[in-house]
Amino acid sequence: MIIRVRFHGRGGQGAKTASRILGTSCFIEGLNVQDSPVYGAERRGAPVTAFTRISDEQILERGYVFDPDLIVVMDPTLLDSPAARVTDGIRKKGVIFLNSPSVTHITKQNIASDFRLVNFDLTNAAMEMLGKPIISSASAAAAARLIGMVKESSLEQAIETELEEIGLSEETIEKNVLLGRKVFSSLEPVELMTEESSRELKIAPLELILEGNGLEDITAAGNSSVSRTGSWRIFKPVVDYEKCTACTVCYAYCPESALTLRQDGKPVIDYDNCKGCLICYRECPPKAITLEREVVAF
Amino acid sequence: MELQSKYRTLRDVPQLDYLSPGGSLCAGCGGLLAVRLFHKVLGKNVVWVNAAGCMTIMVNYPLVPLKSNWLYTAFASAPAGAQGIRDALDILIKKGKIPESEDLKVVVVTGDGAAYDIGLQSTSGAIYRNLDFYYLCYDNQAYGNTGFQVSSATPVGSSTATTPATPSQPAGNIQKRKDLFEIWRAHNPPYIATLSSSYAVDFLKKVEKGSGFRGPKLYISLAGCPTGWGYDPRETIREEKLAVDTGIWPLKEAVEGKVRHTVVPRALRPVEEYLATQARYQHLFTPTKRIDVIRQIQNDVNSYWEGVADREGFDIKLVET
Repeated sequence: MIIRVRFHGRGGQGAKTASRILGTSCFIEGLNVQDSPVYGAERRGAPVTAFTRISDEQILERGYVFDPDLIVVMDPTLLDSPAARVTDGIRKKGVIFLNSPSVTHITKQNIASDFRLVNFDLTNAAMEMLGKPIISSASAAAAARLIGMVKESSLEQAIETELEEIGLSEETIEKNVLLGRKVFSSLEPVELMTEESSRELKIAPLELILEGNGLEDITAAGNSSVSRTGSWRIFKPVVDYEKCTACTVCYAYCPESALTLRQDGKPVIDYDNCKGCLICYRECPPKAITLEREVVAF
Repeated sequence: MELQSKYRTLRDVPQLDYLSPGGSLCAGCGGLLAVRLFHKVLGKNVVWVNAAGCMTIMVNYPLVPLKSNWLYTAFASAPAGAQGIRDALDILIKKGKIPESEDLKVVVVTGDGAAYDIGLQSTSGAIYRNLDFYYLCYDNQAYGNTGFQVSSATPVGSSTATTPATPSQPAGNIQKRKDLFEIWRAHNPPYIATLSSSYAVDFLKKVEKGSGFRGPKLYISLAGCPTGWGYDPRETIREEKLAVDTGIWPLKEAVEGKVRHTVVPRALRPVEEYLATQARYQHLFTPTKRIDVIRQIQNDVNSYWEGVADREGFDIKLVET
């Protein structure tokens, strides 16, 4: 028996820590575990992947998890991101856990294989408990509960151990334990269909990100906007044009050039590429920019 | 008499962007904002010579945000790269192979690691040769790209990946920052300035002013780093502004060696206000408040401004410690 879990989060959300907490909690249960994250060249906000393998036997596999039994999607906007490829390789009857307030607007048509979907609003729970959208312990708790092999006490111990190692304050760790407990008790285990302990070596297919003639894109100046970093956002800044005084403060301070000015001097936000740093929201003198929690899906 | 500047209010920020969005840097990156503002003043005809550092990952080949030109060099050799480009341009113009209008501006862009540490000798060489170039250092006060390790620009009291607060070293980093401004000034270049994007008008004015000089021009821009300093990305401008208002980051320039402070806070705000908002200084506040370290930082700031006020003849209200 070997269970393969893949976490998809954004830089700063805690995907790496989540996989560590899950690994440690299974280790406390006496299982063999392995966990590892992947970062690209991108930084905070960019898609991050982390893997956990759990087994009652020795684990001989290494490297990426291409065919997970459980996929934990820590941010629904990742479903939209071609860079994250969250649903790749999901096993037949595999489980996708989605951090989202609702699943009503999500259809399964874009995923070929048959999978089961579980959802819970981790971000909301984290905002209530911690005051910020950091969901490492919440995601770990969700995964630990779903695979059904971890006791609540082991999870708590794992959260404490891992967060202590990062150097968080006792108060923060305590809040994370409470958050973990809340998520843990809100979910039910799902039966994972995993059976064999080893399988054929799989090689991920290599695909060109850019369509058409690559050369054209390379020589075009300032072509990075095709990478659509708008999917990095957790909160979306929205301009209230009634309140806006066209002071252009937001424009001056936007690090990404994701804001342009209209004829009348009021800003237009390029949502395809705004990473959601929210400097414009914070600095807007008349408070004409408000925030919306962003939940999009395919 | 001073030339009238084009830039008087935030509304004068040029409306052409030479960086397109979609780069790979962290959300809320102060370094990127500095590069963006700098580019706006210089216009499109620029060759960026980029030493390894955070700004390297602005480019995620083949996706490039720059609408100008970019040469990537190793950590230590950006000024040498700049020399090569400058010479090539000069020769081509002299031979009539490219028109005078294609006289690109050569700008070295480095982080503090390259500027203060590993690239210092090649920089010194370039200034010595009186190379006509701009040097923009986005100073986030550590090796931010590789996980926030200490650099010689890291201030006293900051914890970094390599100088964490430990029982034997409870203050975190104990070394004082190198004074890059003065190191450059000792080489006698025509123009040196410190910048903060939070004082954007001052920023633009200085880049404009420096472009009137031939020879090496240095700009050190404070670059708020949400991941390394540990604050919410939306606070970048606030943090950079607090650094100026507490007197920790003086905004100054040196024209032909003569130093003048361009933004003088009439009354300094206590450094504590700045330190308390960043995770890299949290060990100075919890579990016990390290009054000794905070006081040392405040005293350093006070004595700096006392000296400046004497030399430049203005009054400033210091913070009592």
